[in-house]
Amino acid sequence: MVQKTVKVINRLGMHARPSAMFVNHASRYKSEIFIEKAGLKVNGKSIIGVMTLAAEMGAELILHADGIDEKEALRDLTNLVTSGFGELKNL
Amino acid sequence: MPELTVEKFYKERKDFFDLTLLNSEEGLKKRILNAEVHRPGLALAGFLDRFPNQRTQVLGETEMTYINQLDPEGLVETCESIFGNNVPLLIIAKGITPPLDFLAIADKFKTAVFSSRLTTSELTNRLSVVLDVIFAPSITVHGTLVDVYGVGLLYTGKSGIGKSEIALDLVERGHRLVADDVIKITRKAPDLIVGTGSELLGHHMEVRGIGIIDVEKLFGIRSIRLQKRIEVEVHLTLWSDDLDVERLGIDEHGTTILGVQIPQVLIPISPGKNITVISEVIAMNHMLKTYGENTATEFSKRLAERIHRQARSKDYLESDYE
Repeated sequence: MVQKTVKVINRLGMHARPSAMFVNHASRYKSEIFIEKAGLKVNGKSIIGVMTLAAEMGAELILHADGIDEKEALRDLTNLVTSGFGELKNL
Repeated sequence: MPELTVEKFYKERKDFFDLTLLNSEEGLKKRILNAEVHRPGLALAGFLDRFPNQRTQVLGETEMTYINQLDPEGLVETCESIFGNNVPLLIIAKGITPPLDFLAIADKFKTAVFSSRLTTSELTNRLSVVLDVIFAPSITVHGTLVDVYGVGLLYTGKSGIGKSEIALDLVERGHRLVADDVIKITRKAPDLIVGTGSELLGHHMEVRGIGIIDVEKLFGIRSIRLQKRIEVEVHLTLWSDDLDVERLGIDEHGTTILGVQIPQVLIPISPGKNITVISEVIAMNHMLKTYGENTATEFSKRLAERIHRQARSKDYLESDYE
């Protein structure tokens, strides 16, 4: 089990499309993925769960990964969030 | 741990408790840290050992009569000992107004004093009910909660195993969805857990391949409910040959959520298996057990009797030398 704290940096936060991107990435891995925000912990492979977090810009998320490919999963998902879900150019 | 400031408590519950703030707003910044209510009779009389200062303090007519007959020095001393102990807030019942010095000392220690028009017992009862709900332990789990024939079934299992699809199928058959994916579970009594969805989520769910749907809009108001007691956990898992699944149902398997023990049913999933009907059977079987009828146990008793009878007649026939 590995975990990492990341910050949402894109202006619109984790709205529907970034959430879908996150879930799609997370679902590629065998590991269990969870995201935690302010004590609320949801399954990172569930689009509804991820959207329920309503993570705004600046929000701190703790990503948890547990399984055989946890390290790669965590690296990939961290990159995704810290790259602003490819939305940085729209700033 | 929920965060409850005196200000939030006052703003949201002002009418319910019939509250009026008697002193400065400075005290509204304090936080209420637990659900308990205390009437500080002994503390007023000067006995401060084990004074539960973190609780919401309530003064009734008796306490106020005591305070009003104190001489000025006694009043200051008593008030300093109460408010100096960092109580979160103090509520006086029956709309009684305290002496001015009392409020001045409360202000000095930045503690809010309210007056409520309710009687003391009504006030303490309502306080307990409201604070118990706010401070009830709760967790969020990944799963789906459906009311099947009035039995709250909580589906758990890995993402993508088909929880939402089962819920959809159940809704189609007239059962009611409480929430999908993110379930907030609250322990409302020592043996009672209740699940709700999140406000943002409502009764939306994701169906793989379709996307997000609104169950309430699609299936109507009868297809949903806002909260439900959780009675059985149905854990879905992929079928595998080495999986040890229950074949009799005599031994009940349980799971513990927030310290509450509920039965857990492990259902292995394989293509073509109708989990909806199985779900209905789980719910009905749970009801039978609740009403005192345990089919597995009854059947096992019947089998034991039959074996016993057979053995007896065999004995008889064997020892029959006629």
